[in-house]
Amino acid sequence: MRKPYITIIDELSKFALSLFLLSVLVFTMSRLAPGDPLYSYYGDRVEKMGTQEQEAARERLGLHAPIPVQYVQWMKGALHGDFGISYKYKTDVKEVIADRIGNTLLLGGLGFVIIFVLALLLGLFCAWREDKAADRVVCGIGTVTSCIPEFWLSLVLILVFAVWLGWLPSSGAYSVGMERNPADRGSHLILPLAVVVLGHLWYYAYLVRNRLLEETRADYVLLARMKGLSGKQVLYRHCLRNAMPSYLSMMAIALPHILGGTYVVETVFSYPGIGTLAYESARYQDYNLLMLVSLMTGGLVIFGNMLARIINVWIDPRMSLKSGGMSGEVREF
Amino acid sequence: MDVLTVKNLSVSFYRESGEITAVKNVSFTLRAGEILVIMGDTGCGKSVLCKSIVKLLPDIAKIKTGQIYFQGKEITGYTEKEMQKLRGTSFSMVFQNPMTALNPCMSVGAQIAEAVRLRQPGISRKALRSRVMELLKLVGLDRPEERAGQYPVHFSGGMAQRCVIAIALAANPEILFADEPTTSLDAGMQAQILGLLLELREKLGMSMIFITHNPEVAVRMADRVALMRGGELYRIGDAEEIFEETIHNNH
Repeated sequence: MRKPYITIIDELSKFALSLFLLSVLVFTMSRLAPGDPLYSYYGDRVEKMGTQEQEAARERLGLHAPIPVQYVQWMKGALHGDFGISYKYKTDVKEVIADRIGNTLLLGGLGFVIIFVLALLLGLFCAWREDKAADRVVCGIGTVTSCIPEFWLSLVLILVFAVWLGWLPSSGAYSVGMERNPADRGSHLILPLAVVVLGHLWYYAYLVRNRLLEETRADYVLLARMKGLSGKQVLYRHCLRNAMPSYLSMMAIALPHILGGTYVVETVFSYPGIGTLAYESARYQDYNLLMLVSLMTGGLVIFGNMLARIINVWIDPRMSLKSGGMSGEVREF
Repeated sequence: MDVLTVKNLSVSFYRESGEITAVKNVSFTLRAGEILVIMGDTGCGKSVLCKSIVKLLPDIAKIKTGQIYFQGKEITGYTEKEMQKLRGTSFSMVFQNPMTALNPCMSVGAQIAEAVRLRQPGISRKALRSRVMELLKLVGLDRPEERAGQYPVHFSGGMAQRCVIAIALAANPEILFADEPTTSLDAGMQAQILGLLLELREKLGMSMIFITHNPEVAVRMADRVALMRGGELYRIGDAEEIFEETIHNNH
């Protein structure tokens, strides 16, 4: 059996290696992409600058050297926690991100929790009422909603609830001067949150439903029924337990997907989060900002996958057999 | 005394392509304490017959005609609720493949405990634990304390089948349905499990409906034998009589 600390070191080194490869890739690709970062820093003034001035500016920003040299420079700083300045905002990229990350975490995190719970409930409900009228209606509605593009749904919701009915604000994260008012922030959250949830919910609910239905056809269901359990009890006590590992690992992978997948929604609602920031930084060659946003998002994805693997081993005893994990170990039942 | 009486039972599967009758007009009785072996080739309807008695047929299958009596009471029209009670107390089943019959994500002890708790809802933790140990010992698993905490993957087929039998016995059933319980096991294990079932029948005095396609197994187990072919039960009688007859016919 492997010692726990070896597993941890193993996982951490994999994590670091993945991040390193990601940073090389993003760094190279962003610099090879067409566009001039000077525009991001100086705006239209670049056009009035002479060639010499432009060269000097490039040198100041460290953009004159060959790409590998630039990368080493960047890496040196990054290892000391210095990720450089944003060309557009002219401040440390960490500050730029710190200003916005709370908004994204709130929108994406809340969306994730709601999706996680609702998908499970909806999937359970549909599996319980398999092929009955209720299941069919839910499946129908779900399939339709999951096919609606997010940007279109956002616009329709803005039109109905903000423009026609005037109940909810159409954009931003808070009204001017109301930054600390929870009610105001809440009302700004409702529409983007609705789009995030509706956009993803059915995909995961359907996954839960189908996994559960697969389980209800397994042999152990018959044995459980023979004990005198009802179909519903078997679904909750037995099938759900067997469907949970794949659901949890799916949701661990979905974590960055949903949290980072708020890009479109943030853009449509002009919601000041990481999504809009990532979009802008890629568009205006704001290299340092792009690097940090990519690394954060990438780190989240890798972390999600790692979490999924760990959860799987933890819940399903079969998964740990290969590394010797729990075999022979006695668990209280 | 007859524990179970089945009269003119027909079971059909309804599919889009039409109706398929899997069990045709089957009648038999099961006497108290006896082992009735239902023998027939794969697909002759023996499993469906068994599942229709305990009403665990898939949704597309229905009992078309006939009556089922358990201890003199008709149970054909029992609701799902009433059947659940019967399954938890009077009927138990042992399945063909123990590795898939056990829930892979639940410790064996927990699966046995669940069955015990259904039968005795108010049971204390301590009593529950000792009952689980008792059942594990009854089916011949050594080191039950350790075994209870393990998962089905940690068991061989034969040991897993012992656990399935332990779950079946948790209900103190009047009738044990054994649906090809040794088919997936190797020969040595097969003999052990058959021996165990015979021993348990002596000890607990339950009746057994034993399904198999294997004549050797039938000879070892049967008090009486019912032969099935194409959904019909065409011959039923004392084991000796029927085996005698079969040997004569074949020579």
